[in-house]
Amino acid sequence: MKPDLTTKVGRLTFRNPITVASGTFGVKDEYKPYVDYEKLGAVITKTITVRPRAGNPMPRICETAGGMLNAIGLQNKGLQDFLDHKIPYFAKINTPLIVNIAGETTDDFSQMAQALNREKEVVKAIEINLSCPNVEAGGVSGNKKRGKILDVMKAVKDKTDIFAFAKLSPELGDVSEIASDVIQAGADGLSLINTLKGMAVDIHTRGPRIANITGGLSGPAIKPVALRHVYEIKKSFKIPVIASGGIMSAQDALEFLIVGADLLAVGTASFVNPRATLDILDGILQYCQKNNIRHLDELRGTFKANAAASH
Amino acid sequence: MSDVTVAILENSKVNAKYYKLVFDSKELSKKVAPGQFLNAQLTDTLDPFLRRPFSYYRVKASRIEVLYEILGRGTGLLSQMKKGTALRINGPLGLPFTPKAPKGKKRVLIAGGVGVPPLVFLAEQFGTDYLLIGTKSKAEVLPKSELAKVKGKILYSTNDGSFGTKGFVTTLLEEILRKEKTENLFIQTCGPNVMMQAVMKIAEREGIQGEASIDKTMACGVGACLGCMVMTTDGWLPSCTRGPVFDFKHLEYQIR
Repeated sequence: MKPDLTTKVGRLTFRNPITVASGTFGVKDEYKPYVDYEKLGAVITKTITVRPRAGNPMPRICETAGGMLNAIGLQNKGLQDFLDHKIPYFAKINTPLIVNIAGETTDDFSQMAQALNREKEVVKAIEINLSCPNVEAGGVSGNKKRGKILDVMKAVKDKTDIFAFAKLSPELGDVSEIASDVIQAGADGLSLINTLKGMAVDIHTRGPRIANITGGLSGPAIKPVALRHVYEIKKSFKIPVIASGGIMSAQDALEFLIVGADLLAVGTASFVNPRATLDILDGILQYCQKNNIRHLDELRGTFKANAAASH
Repeated sequence: MSDVTVAILENSKVNAKYYKLVFDSKELSKKVAPGQFLNAQLTDTLDPFLRRPFSYYRVKASRIEVLYEILGRGTGLLSQMKKGTALRINGPLGLPFTPKAPKGKKRVLIAGGVGVPPLVFLAEQFGTDYLLIGTKSKAEVLPKSELAKVKGKILYSTNDGSFGTKGFVTTLLEEILRKEKTENLFIQTCGPNVMMQAVMKIAEREGIQGEASIDKTMACGVGACLGCMVMTTDGWLPSCTRGPVFDFKHLEYQIR
């Protein structure tokens, strides 16, 4: 019998837990030649902002051991373009859409929430990007003050009852404390973790490898950190979590599931293997079959702190 | 576009500069046009981690040839790989060169470094009036056998004068400008940014139309990550899907 991977997150139901990390899967159908979008649990868009953003100067990315740094700068065509050209595409696809939003001011977030509230048929959830490391005005740098994060959270919930995930990063401070705050402010779920700020130096020019000097580190290099945060949050709070951070294989995905992750956002892995999402899904199915797991909930959150490692 | 596993058929050193990689794939050889590229996963290790983009050099039925330089650790490892080694490759990707010069125009292809393979491919498939190749010295000039099928006149420049005209490839272009009616020329260029910038400056001065293929560090290769951006008259565009070939009139001279 085929294992049941149906994942319930609050009032939302997903056919499986596999989704994509914001910014790694484009804004529309970039991966269509490789991935049947209707096999994914959900699609999370690249960050949308009210006004178009040109993005950061080049170079924007650089490879590092077991990962990469990026400082894209939230380049996107803005809210109106998204509503006009991207929403209609997802309206035709039978896969829940989660829209990632960021803003420079609380009012930006309000405007976006209000606009997306009119697209509820298509937009099943919002992921609030409170933690982009690469933009001066928004994300980590601008929202560093906890008060502002809470204002944003409240502003979004004030404008819409769409399921809202707050995307956090250890860069913001103590993740558990911030999680507690945003949950009180109305977050329905959390998304853990965004990239970690890092840098790389060109020893020939002695300059930075990316123009922004620092960038967000993603990929397998950050997986243990991400796993730890998901584990700690799921242990302390009864809140749905989208886990992301270096999920490259079914093995990685299963680790996050065991510590309690609800959805699994595959990110940088898609750059290395455009079919990573579906390959990971296949691997999870095989693991379930091999271990007689009929429903994923028999595995999810079953971490045993006292069990010894098998080898 | 397909992402498939292929086995290396040949992988050997051509000269002081280039290595040639040969493999066979029905999917990757379908509807390929010169200027398009492949994104190859060279190892399944985490370091190097990302794929590496390579231009198509030659496609004959399902046989694909790639000409590459060792530019870093990824290509260094590739150069050590033996026949039979499996590679995961995504392609064909990107927008190709305009296959034929506009009516009544003479085509001038200007190549340097990793820009040589796609322009040789273009010249073999569609012919050219001129193919200008610039290298540092004679040791880097492709052997004649590799250029035998180019339909058109090949001119060489070397920085040290050890082969062809001494100087830069732009010296060759200036020679052509003295012989031909400039308004009848159409330039297509691929190579180091400094070379293409110099070519574009001359093209602007003379009012010559053309295209440049711009190589940037890439991650996804499919327009998702927005890492390989090129500044154009329409703002930053990904070179993987909106290029790598761009019309001169959409580019700034200072390629960034």
